[in-house]
Amino acid sequence: MSEVMYAGEPAIEAYGLGMRYRRGWALRDCSFRLPVGRICGLVGPNGAGKTTLLNIAAHVLEPTQGSISLFGEAPGSAEAGRRTAFLAQEKPLFRRFTVAETLRLGRELNPGWDQRAAEDIIRAGNVPFEAKIGTLSGGQRTRVAIALAFGKRPDLLLLDEPMSDLDPVVRHEIMGILLAEAAEHGTTVLMSTHVLAELENVCDYLVVVSGGGVRLAGDVDELKSVHTLITGAREGDGLPVALGHHALVESRTSGRQFTALVRPEGPVIGPWETDTPNMEELLLAYLRSPDAPPLITPTAQVHRQGFGTGAVAA
Amino acid sequence: MSTFTRSSTSTSTGSTSDGKNGTTDGTLNATTTEATRRPRLSGMTWLVWRQHRAGFWAILAATALSVAWIVYQRGQLVDFLDGYGYPGKSLDDEGGKFQQYKDAFSFVSMGLQAIPILLGVFLGAPLLAGDLENGTAKLVAAQSMSRTRCLATKLALAGLVAVVSTGVLSAVFGWWWNPVKSDVTFMDWTSGAAFNTTGPVPVALTLFSVFGGVAIGVVLRRTLTAMVVTFGFTVVLQLVWGYFLLSLGNVVTVTTNKGVNVYPSLPHGAYEIDQSYVTGSGDLVGWGTCSGSQTEAARQVCLDKADVVGWSVQYLPMSQMNAMQWFGASILFALTAGVVAFLFFWGRKRLV
Repeated sequence: MSEVMYAGEPAIEAYGLGMRYRRGWALRDCSFRLPVGRICGLVGPNGAGKTTLLNIAAHVLEPTQGSISLFGEAPGSAEAGRRTAFLAQEKPLFRRFTVAETLRLGRELNPGWDQRAAEDIIRAGNVPFEAKIGTLSGGQRTRVAIALAFGKRPDLLLLDEPMSDLDPVVRHEIMGILLAEAAEHGTTVLMSTHVLAELENVCDYLVVVSGGGVRLAGDVDELKSVHTLITGAREGDGLPVALGHHALVESRTSGRQFTALVRPEGPVIGPWETDTPNMEELLLAYLRSPDAPPLITPTAQVHRQGFGTGAVAA
Repeated sequence: MSTFTRSSTSTSTGSTSDGKNGTTDGTLNATTTEATRRPRLSGMTWLVWRQHRAGFWAILAATALSVAWIVYQRGQLVDFLDGYGYPGKSLDDEGGKFQQYKDAFSFVSMGLQAIPILLGVFLGAPLLAGDLENGTAKLVAAQSMSRTRCLATKLALAGLVAVVSTGVLSAVFGWWWNPVKSDVTFMDWTSGAAFNTTGPVPVALTLFSVFGGVAIGVVLRRTLTAMVVTFGFTVVLQLVWGYFLLSLGNVVTVTTNKGVNVYPSLPHGAYEIDQSYVTGSGDLVGWGTCSGSQTEAARQVCLDKADVVGWSVQYLPMSQMNAMQWFGASILFALTAGVVAFLFFWGRKRLV
């Protein structure tokens, strides 16, 4: 799939994006590219700038530095506004509106509104249409907010921790809807999340932000394939010298064993077990070691930029 | 307004589904048909009306009640005046019977003077502060509508409700006052009770208070704080307005040279600002000059010695009232325009 999408049109291109609040930088020098049609997980520790990034993309915040474009348009433009749907983290809704009125809001304010799609999502959760939003449970409210975002029929969905207050069954169901919608309409999704399971099963693209910058970005399979997880017996402190020429992301020791995640610069030969890391191992390694060199694969690189350190030969 | 459209078929039956809702497969019939019975709002206008409908209806209902009360009271007043024989007979020596009409009048006038404060605090301050506090500004910003248009609709609708309500009340109150307008004992035209409740002044004061409240709301982003601060702002506005009220007119000066015992005649209803003696050389001296004299003769000697030849009186004629009201109102409208410009500038920069 990554080969097909390789030169795909960008849905999002962020270039040198930075956001400074009064207490300091929330996001700094953030550059990445998200090709059209991908379901992208946006991952990072708390306070890493995920919400800031999504808010900038949704034109809720103006960046302090840099620029971002959605389908080649600025976030504030009419075109970008029409093609993008944003579900904010707190899922704001008018508390005194009924569910039906909330859907009417979507219908009144969006030219391409799909009432049936929105109603189907509501009905699947048995949420009564005449109920006031203020009387709904957190999960039901999230469902209405998601219906509102989906009913807009966007080309790009920006979701800020969409599933955080849903139970596992509903979470699974909503994820199913998300995947079906995205597959049917070619919707691009950028979704911040803490739930690794969502990433593993749903996302085929990944952007990791940490310490304000992008640490890892690209196609999931590609990211996995360029890393190797090495397990072997310890020889003194740290890594075996023979592994020194590979780019080390993280190494850990437990007892007489060591485990290291590396980006091999050639064949890994030695008395060790090698394996392709899974998404969780990859993520944890990068999040735990902020000094590891960032990696942005070619599909995730913004043109006109020279990321010497992070680039991987295609 | 182009967004107001009446669905003619469903007005009569109340059961046919609106064409615009054809995509719903009739699943929302219960709610949509109820809406189609009334004039249908659409788009952003619908949203703003729906969000603030309680406040808007309360304002309009209170206006309607007040208008009904004023119409009733005016009928009572006119009946009394006709029975009494006004204006042939002066109201000065009517005794106590007239007092109740005066009281009703000043009671309503007081209520009208409170409108800018009330609307500023309860309509203006929460208008955008509520959206910012609850995050619903983000929700609206995430829809396809342009942000400027959202803001424009919101301000326009709130402004419209404020203008309609205060405009109607101002006109009706002026109509109530009209039969006794020339009677100074009834109400002094320079007082806030008359000046701030008739003509364009209540509209201008209310608009400035409301949009000032909106601006305070977007800066503070908290509904309750914004309401408290707006209360202070509107009260200060009233004080400042009252302080500068008389400066809005062109002061007319009348001087006499027939001695101090002949007071110059001022036009009916004129508001006297200042009075002093004038000397032969044209200088003004205080009218307390020579008031310490024991006898009339001694006073005359004293006055002659000071070369006082007559009075100089400064006043505002009642004929200026309308011009003063429009002048003051245009200043307030200009300030309001400045606040609106700030709101649009802010809205483009930072909404959430």
